[in-house]
Amino acid sequence: MQLVSGTLSNEKLSVDDSSPEGTARIHLVFDKGKLVSQEPASTVFFLGGG
Amino acid sequence: MKTKSWLVLPVIALLLFVNGASAANDQAKLNAQEQKVVDYLVKDWGEDYSVTSVDIAMKALKVEPSDEARFRIGSYVKGHPELHEIIRRWGWVTLVLTPDEKLIARALINAERESKPAPSISELAKAVGIKEPDVKRGLAMLERYEILKKDNNAGGPGFTVMPRYIKWEPRLDFVFHNVSLDSGRQFSVN
Repeated sequence: MQLVSGTLSNEKLSVDDSSPEGTARIHLVFDKGKLVSQEPASTVFFLGGG
Repeated sequence: MKTKSWLVLPVIALLLFVNGASAANDQAKLNAQEQKVVDYLVKDWGEDYSVTSVDIAMKALKVEPSDEARFRIGSYVKGHPELHEIIRRWGWVTLVLTPDEKLIARALINAERESKPAPSISELAKAVGIKEPDVKRGLAMLERYEILKKDNNAGGPGFTVMPRYIKWEPRLDFVFHNVSLDSGRQFSVN
């Protein structure tokens, strides 16, 4: 996420991810650092840290 | 003719060394196009946190998709951790397997960890979202990399997972995060 909201914050991009467990795939689309869409729709996306 | 016995052992040792070195070279021999993929990876790794995998590099260089070529390149990466810190830090498995192969491995490993019966080919196809022939290709690749072992007593597709992969850290094993930019560039991160 450091990349999406930093170096690539002016880009439109997609991320294809493995789920943390299991065999599900996650597809996220970002435009200028903001999440535009996610599949599956039930994906819970957190941005932040501490 | 009298044999100089003191010479026999060093000569045998030398022959064994030459033979061994030749076998290693044969295994590691890449053609020019495959070498280009390795060069691309070495240059790409570390850029924008890149942990790019062999399949993505082949696609970027428009190399015709081939499991055989991908295995040769992957084996080279596996056998040459000195090429880049990324191989040593993240391990060759992350770099040489495709997302489908990683998910097939996960499905089998999760079943074994949870003491459930191994999923069949059709169950694997459904779980991973690919066709059965692609599951078989994936299983063959995982066997060639010695992540799976053929076992006629095992259920499902007839493979057991090599013990070291069962003990890998759940949630961190066989992951992929592939980034595709609108410009066409693709790379993986971890």
